[in-house]
Amino acid sequence: MTTFLATVGPMDSPEGRSSVLDAAKAGDLAAFEQIMRQYERMVLVTALRLLGSLADAQDVSQEVFLKLYRNLGKVESSAAFPGWLYRVTVNACHDLRRRRPPSVPMEDAGEMPSGEADPQQQTAAGERRRVLEMSLRILSEKEREALVLRDLEGLSTEEVARVLGSSEATVRSQISKARVKVKGFVERYFRRRV
Amino acid sequence: MNCKDWEERLALYAGGDLPPDQAAAVERHLGECPGCQLFSSGLKEAGQRLAEWHGEPLPAAHFAAVRARVLAELERQRRPFWRRGWAYGVAAAVMAALLVLLAVKPRPPVLQPPAVAIDRHPPPAAPDPAADRPAPPPVRPAATPIPRKRHASQPGEQVLIRVVSNDPDVVIYWIADTRGE
Repeated sequence: MTTFLATVGPMDSPEGRSSVLDAAKAGDLAAFEQIMRQYERMVLVTALRLLGSLADAQDVSQEVFLKLYRNLGKVESSAAFPGWLYRVTVNACHDLRRRRPPSVPMEDAGEMPSGEADPQQQTAAGERRRVLEMSLRILSEKEREALVLRDLEGLSTEEVARVLGSSEATVRSQISKARVKVKGFVERYFRRRV
Repeated sequence: MNCKDWEERLALYAGGDLPPDQAAAVERHLGECPGCQLFSSGLKEAGQRLAEWHGEPLPAAHFAAVRARVLAELERQRRPFWRRGWAYGVAAAVMAALLVLLAVKPRPPVLQPPAVAIDRHPPPAAPDPAADRPAPPPVRPAATPIPRKRHASQPGEQVLIRVVSNDPDVVIYWIADTRGE
């Protein structure tokens, strides 16, 4: 069973999570900010992998958290957050792709300043991000969703099927095709570099 | 068996997505097929690389920017409506619409009081035997209504009152005695 999240701070214990959720439901924005901090990486990075554009991923993240705030009253326990957030994130990415073309080319999405001070390290990190984005770009939308959730976010096949609203057999088929395609791309990329 | 047929199972095996019996079959095949061993190790290596790159941290500023946007939006939504910019716009639009409505609203027609014509009509001194039919009362044209005006009438004098309404087909006559006015 995959653990969806790593807990930190006042949301360490189930009691702490429950009290933070109650406070957020009562309109406490500081409590809601704690919830956001808990899940922001999950939402932003998933959207970034699916869309390939940081600006678009940030727009989607904002939309997802505003939707979460509006739906806090329906959430009984914070254990339901991850599955709900993944589903809403994937749907929001769908909607955004339909609304507008990618604002930043996929390969440019990796051009983000990172903590590495050494220019050589920065270059290497930038290249890794670029290869990652490009290998996801060669996949179909469904294959990308399945691979990102299963192999990168670490959900089980059953959880991926639930998030995507499809059968486990379909997800397995999409994942296997995606893995073969990514393998081929990564090998070709590094062979060319050598 | 063609090794192409093993591709899908090898891909699932690489991620641990096969049930135990199928995983055992794949392992048996791998034990006797160097080509599939190479393919399988390539799958695992690519998967590991992707997962490793995916796990590299993003700059905290990217998350902080989203958080700030969400909190600002929530603060804006929670502000009382009179402190929101759009409330003034809506109020101004409503006022403008009301003013326009008042300016162009058609006024209801004002009903004029019916014109009343009062005519002195001295009572007949004596019945005229020659006249069998009573002559029609003299009527002033309604076009020039006579303003109602007290006049010095003799007690017991009869007056003929003609009331002209807005409907040209309705004209009312009556004879009144001025006594006791």
